[in-house]
Amino acid sequence: MIRFLLASLFVLTGLVAGTAQEEDHSKDLVTALSSDMVSIQSNFTGTEIVIFGQASHIADSSGEADDFQLAIVVEGPPQDITTRRKGRFLGVWVNREAERFQNVPSFYAVASTADIGQIAHRNVLDEYSIGLNHINLAVSGVSNVALSDRDDFRRAFVRLREETGLYSERETSIEFLTDTMFRTKIPLPANIPVGDYTVKSYLFNQGELVSETQQILAVAKIGFEQVTFELAQNYPLVYGVLAVILAIFTGWLAGVIFKKD
Amino acid sequence: MQLYLPIAEIPVNIFVIFAMGGAVGFLSGLFGIGGGFLLTPLLIFSGIPPAVSVATVTTQVVASSASAVVTYWRRKAIDLKLASILLAGGVFGSLIGVILFDVLQSVGQLDLVISLSYVTFLGAIGGLMLVESVRAIRRRKSGAAPSARKPGQHNWIHGLPLKVRFRQSKLYVSVIPVVALGAIIGFLGTILGIGGGFMMVPALIYLLRVPTNIVIGTSLFQILFTMAAATIFHAMGTKTVDIVLAMTLMIGGVIGAQFGARMGQNLRGDQLRLLLALLVLGVGLRFAVDLLLIPDDLYSIAIRKGAGV
Repeated sequence: MIRFLLASLFVLTGLVAGTAQEEDHSKDLVTALSSDMVSIQSNFTGTEIVIFGQASHIADSSGEADDFQLAIVVEGPPQDITTRRKGRFLGVWVNREAERFQNVPSFYAVASTADIGQIAHRNVLDEYSIGLNHINLAVSGVSNVALSDRDDFRRAFVRLREETGLYSERETSIEFLTDTMFRTKIPLPANIPVGDYTVKSYLFNQGELVSETQQILAVAKIGFEQVTFELAQNYPLVYGVLAVILAIFTGWLAGVIFKKD
Repeated sequence: MQLYLPIAEIPVNIFVIFAMGGAVGFLSGLFGIGGGFLLTPLLIFSGIPPAVSVATVTTQVVASSASAVVTYWRRKAIDLKLASILLAGGVFGSLIGVILFDVLQSVGQLDLVISLSYVTFLGAIGGLMLVESVRAIRRRKSGAAPSARKPGQHNWIHGLPLKVRFRQSKLYVSVIPVVALGAIIGFLGTILGIGGGFMMVPALIYLLRVPTNIVIGTSLFQILFTMAAATIFHAMGTKTVDIVLAMTLMIGGVIGAQFGARMGQNLRGDQLRLLLALLVLGVGLRFAVDLLLIPDDLYSIAIRKGAGV
């Protein structure tokens, strides 16, 4: 609740600043996150972040409010991901073709006020990676996938990411609290990778981008999870030896406790 | 209760994992096996990434064999010299295993190799055990006396050079088959996430003719240290040993094993072997079905670089 109040306060301050500087278009859109840090601990089962904002331009403009559309994109740190397709080989199903997508977001969620296609021209959507069909999925040069099958791989990739909850498209999920104040929720599933996420908000007027904001959301393991993970990554020998000692001790202890008479 | 696994990076129901460890521990106590070949597939089928399952079960096998080694150590039923030579081969095999594991993972054929190996080895060993146990049961029913092993019996293995005397096992054999056996089991154990006792024990008995009272202790001792090496290699190479998952499995496993061992004393040896044979064949069959049926989803994805690797 305190976070909500703080965020609302932030939005209101932004509103004041926005009205004070009519000419500065970057102030037309102000956004805030319910939290700029997501901590992963042993009881982490996913969470959600709330994004608040104020689009003062809508009230200032003489045009219809319907002309304005919003899109909010949350992206996780980049990954290289290989998509494979199975085929039958000697009667057995094995992975045959593979396509490697480079520098694709590890997490991607888009929320919008309308259907993605109605917000702007597809070139604009492609440029800002707004919508699941508009993410930049660059492939590596080496690939054994036929050109005609490339779209199948793209679709399969996005579908598999959607199934794990790491990619999502939530059209018309941005709700307006007042004429200019809006809010949306982005669920973060339990399997989200750690790292710095970007939250980008775009305001369109009749298909034209009029304002945008960007925020950073940190997702990090803390406490025991962080110590364990960092030990495993940075001191793998120590981690391995520790695991062995722990295992031998547990086994030995059990042998002693349950000793047969 | 959901618990987040720091290395696998997914939450799991801790009671389900604990129960799995317990159930497999029960079976391992019942049959006198490590149970890795049951636990690894169980984890994979329940959604833990195969790499994490395999690496973590090697750690769990360390715990379950350590518990049994204590007992055999007290009974002095371990041939340390034989175990050390097997172990030397085992560590080498395990190292090769981790390297190949990494290569297979990067070319996307790890799951296939794991499945094919399970089908092949479980099918073969399970089949042999089934035939042997059915014969033994029939023999017992018909009242015929089991044919005793002739002490002087030799096979081609006993003709190899570099012979060494193993006093406790009353053996005089070449080190070549001993090192090779250790290496093969260490290699398979590392790739498949199994201790390999169910392969090691028959091999020691039928190929090297190690006396039965020494076999299990020696095999367990060798498995304990080969799997300890495999855990360290996996921790350094694939970085997929999940200590939280391992600990949950271990505790479930050692408790289950005590109940299994008690129940095992009430069953006859040949009946136990028949049940174990069916279990081994069942797991092998499950993998075979997955390879032969059209998969639900032809596509799969694997993260190669960047966040979460």
